[in-house]
Amino acid sequence: MSNTVMKIENLQAKIGDKQILKGLNLELEAGKVHAIMGPNGAGKSTLSKALVGHYDIEVLGGDITYKGKSIVEMEPEERALEGIFLSFQHPVEIPGVNNAYFLRTALNAKRKHEGKEELNAAEFLREMKKHLEMLGMKSDMISRSLNEGFSGGEKKRNEILQMLILEPEVIILDEIDSGLDIDALRAVSEGINKMKDGKRTFLVITHYSRILDYIEPDYIHVLKDGKVIKTAGPELVAQLEEHGYDAIEEE
Amino acid sequence: MNLLELKHKNRQEVADFLGAKERDMLSERFATLGLPNKKSEEYRYFDVEKLLEKEYKTLNYIPKTPEVSDKIVIVDGVVTAVPKGMRVYYEACEQIDMNHFDPLYYLGHLLCPQTIKIELDGDVEVEIEHRYTQSDSLINYRIVLYNQANRHATVYENFICEDIENTLVLYGYDMHIAQDSTLRVVKMQYMQDNHYAMIASHKVNVAKNANAILKSFDLGGDQALQLLKVELLEHAHVDAGHLLYLNADSKRGTVSQIVHVGEHSTSKQEAKNILDGEARGIFDALIRVEHSAKYTKAEQNSKSILLHDKAYMASKPQLEIYIDELEASHGATTGQLDPKQLFYLQSRGISYVEARKMLVIAFANTLIEEVKDTRQQERIKSAFEAVFYKSHE
Repeated sequence: MSNTVMKIENLQAKIGDKQILKGLNLELEAGKVHAIMGPNGAGKSTLSKALVGHYDIEVLGGDITYKGKSIVEMEPEERALEGIFLSFQHPVEIPGVNNAYFLRTALNAKRKHEGKEELNAAEFLREMKKHLEMLGMKSDMISRSLNEGFSGGEKKRNEILQMLILEPEVIILDEIDSGLDIDALRAVSEGINKMKDGKRTFLVITHYSRILDYIEPDYIHVLKDGKVIKTAGPELVAQLEEHGYDAIEEE
Repeated sequence: MNLLELKHKNRQEVADFLGAKERDMLSERFATLGLPNKKSEEYRYFDVEKLLEKEYKTLNYIPKTPEVSDKIVIVDGVVTAVPKGMRVYYEACEQIDMNHFDPLYYLGHLLCPQTIKIELDGDVEVEIEHRYTQSDSLINYRIVLYNQANRHATVYENFICEDIENTLVLYGYDMHIAQDSTLRVVKMQYMQDNHYAMIASHKVNVAKNANAILKSFDLGGDQALQLLKVELLEHAHVDAGHLLYLNADSKRGTVSQIVHVGEHSTSKQEAKNILDGEARGIFDALIRVEHSAKYTKAEQNSKSILLHDKAYMASKPQLEIYIDELEASHGATTGQLDPKQLFYLQSRGISYVEARKMLVIAFANTLIEEVKDTRQQERIKSAFEAVFYKSHE
């Protein structure tokens, strides 16, 4: 694949005593939307966690390279600063951490990493306002504690808000559509599509094809038993809808 | 002076040793309770004997004409500055609690025949700055604080010390919170590097329909204990909050008794404790509901986070109830920082150290944000950060 931004080679990883990823290979092409689909327990969420350095995951073998550099030994914050972003399936609530303060700290950490000047509170709020309107978020959501008492839709919107602010290069969306009603799904998709500029790369991890009606994929990868067993174009979605995962044979 | 010489002395011997011949009742009470040691219930988790066994220099407390200042300044137990128009003077303490649980409350009174009396007029806001400048000394003083009925006063307490060592401070308040009034006391004490140790023994009388709001922020290292007795009359209320954030091998905390005496009195006591290094935190708190205190509401809670496997929290919330007609609850939890929360922050590019700081502050924030004065709140936050970075050097 030309123009590869991230390459996963023979990745083997376990959670606790259980090996979940069993030699997974995947290449992400810069500027494209890759969708990972697969049945329950295939290793979709484990893959997303492995990419961002989650503490649950122990990498047993293989490598993940991002822009030609191995990231397996990097800390989660280093991966984030390099431009890898995971939108969590279940964003955690953090009472006592003000959402705006959190967002500004994250943005300023990124700006500092890039050698840019940090934003003060007023500059930051100006920057935020346009994103809030676009996502249909109430302005009080940023003055509340991070994700505390947020509905499922609000949490996902807040994830997208972080994505818009941090402008990552590789965006992993883990079950972004779970628990969203149609309006929330539309607003979240709009935020994602706004980021599709032909340079950013998306890895959409999903159970169902519904989200792919809103975010058009370039590639579909089917994950089964810890490995990618098939890669094809968007036409594969219809085949999966009709015949299910069992009908897919390993390539 | 070596306070350990007071061990096992009777009333007469105590009075002779301290030169307090006309204060028989206090000497009697002190002799009955005895000099505290590691077997004393109220000092069980605090190494009081180590502090008492040292030889200290005694100071001469010669009153000075105080300067006019924007705050009350007490240097080594002597008032040196007072805001214009505020009544601060020396007087013998007339109302001493003869049922206080702490022997050092009585020792403090025996050592201080003249107490510093502060009268808070109207809806005043005042800062009291305690300053310590003498090494190897026993600094002892007591303050009597009065406010006015139907008024709402606030006292901010701060502690500063010079580069001293080996000093023990014994101080404390006798507060009299007048009927239908509110007195808010916010204490911030940042200690580090063992300049001095402190035992602070207080008594707070809350009159009918009055509110006592007592918030303490004990940060840093070293050895200090506050012993607090609060008595609530009819419809009186106390809201006590204690934040501990300790590092190194410090031992600090609160030992308290909140006594409901009057009907419909209410109390809320909340402790939040963050312990790093080999620190030991103490929250040994009793709420007692007397026969006379029908329809009491009492709530007590202690939450602790241990940041190091050698840190230790002694949490002992207790209820002692003599009636049926009341609502009361208490509880204590101890845990660690949530790894999910830590990871979430890191996954957004926030460093491990910064993420920990955010979570530690978040835990404490409910208490810190109750301090409405921005300057005082900032002071607490910057001391808080100093403790944090000291542990992450």
